[in-house]
Amino acid sequence: MPQPYQLPDNTRLLVVIPALNEEESLTRVIGNVNHAVPGADILVINDGSTDNTAKVGKAAGAMVVTLPYNLGIGAAMQTGFIYAHEHGYDFMVQVDGDGQHNPDEICELIPHLVSGNADVVIGSRYIEDRGYITPAPRRAGIIILAKYISLLTRKPYTDPTSGFRASNRKAIAMCSRIYPSDYPEPEALMQFHKANVKVKEIPVTMNPRYGGQSSITPIRSAYYMIKVMLAIAILTIRRRPKVFS
Amino acid sequence: MSFDRLTLLITFVALALFILVLEMVRRRALAERYSLWWLIISGGVVVLALARPLLDNLIFTQLGISYPPSALFSAGFVGLVIIMLYMSHLITLLTRQNRTAAQRIGLLQHELDLLRDDLAKLKNE
Repeated sequence: MPQPYQLPDNTRLLVVIPALNEEESLTRVIGNVNHAVPGADILVINDGSTDNTAKVGKAAGAMVVTLPYNLGIGAAMQTGFIYAHEHGYDFMVQVDGDGQHNPDEICELIPHLVSGNADVVIGSRYIEDRGYITPAPRRAGIIILAKYISLLTRKPYTDPTSGFRASNRKAIAMCSRIYPSDYPEPEALMQFHKANVKVKEIPVTMNPRYGGQSSITPIRSAYYMIKVMLAIAILTIRRRPKVFS
Repeated sequence: MSFDRLTLLITFVALALFILVLEMVRRRALAERYSLWWLIISGGVVVLALARPLLDNLIFTQLGISYPPSALFSAGFVGLVIIMLYMSHLITLLTRQNRTAAQRIGLLQHELDLLRDDLAKLKNE
């Protein structure tokens, strides 16, 4: 196991874990986060689960916010941003509840925020080949999205759907006010671009899921691609959101 | 002044709709603000249908519509499109408000649980 990461003095980190029916993997994810960044607070957003996600999260020592019904990943994440903003956290990291993200790599995201190099740091699976295997159709979809967003923002992106992200106060404040719904990650990139939020991608290693079901089915994928590309196109002509400091 | 059967039928249906909407508003089954467009459309169709002898010539010469009732349908159609777009707009607003409220419920419930735990600890001391 790598060494636990010590946060700089007087900085508070919130790790947000959005979870929909993740009772099988949640204990392990929370345990890993606790080991990787002992000083961080952990908040599980239980997005209307029908299993024991809330109980399992509390038992593992995390704070749990339970939404009254399923709002979707975007609104669940935004709940985390609102919490981080209202409680004055310096940084917030989002880690999927299914175990795909590697909490040990939180320590690679945070320094870029501490140094002021970026307002948002994204862990990308595709900067370096670290053995993460994506099914070909999904890989094709991700490449199309990456090229599309890179073209519109004139910045290179490799993994626009990655949900392994760290944000500083500026990004937290903005996302607590406006955050896209449904599958929000690619749209959020465009939103950051419009608000002059600096985004940086760094290479990470991701795991196969521990358990549960992926929320993206083949049938939804086509609809998802069209919806996201339309939403991003509309964002380019939308009025620029105010930057909150 | 004589009306053909189609005009009478349209007038009757539109009048029935107008009365139904009024009745729904009276019973609070429909809010006033949402009833407005329905009243405008159904009332407008009644007026247009009854005023048809005066309008026929105008519709034919000015709009180039040779079958006057289709002008009536077009007017009704435009009204319905406006209503539906307005409804979609309202759904969008309500969805957003609903989302914000649900997020707040979750956050407040969490704070409440923490406060209850703290209170229980204090009572035990």
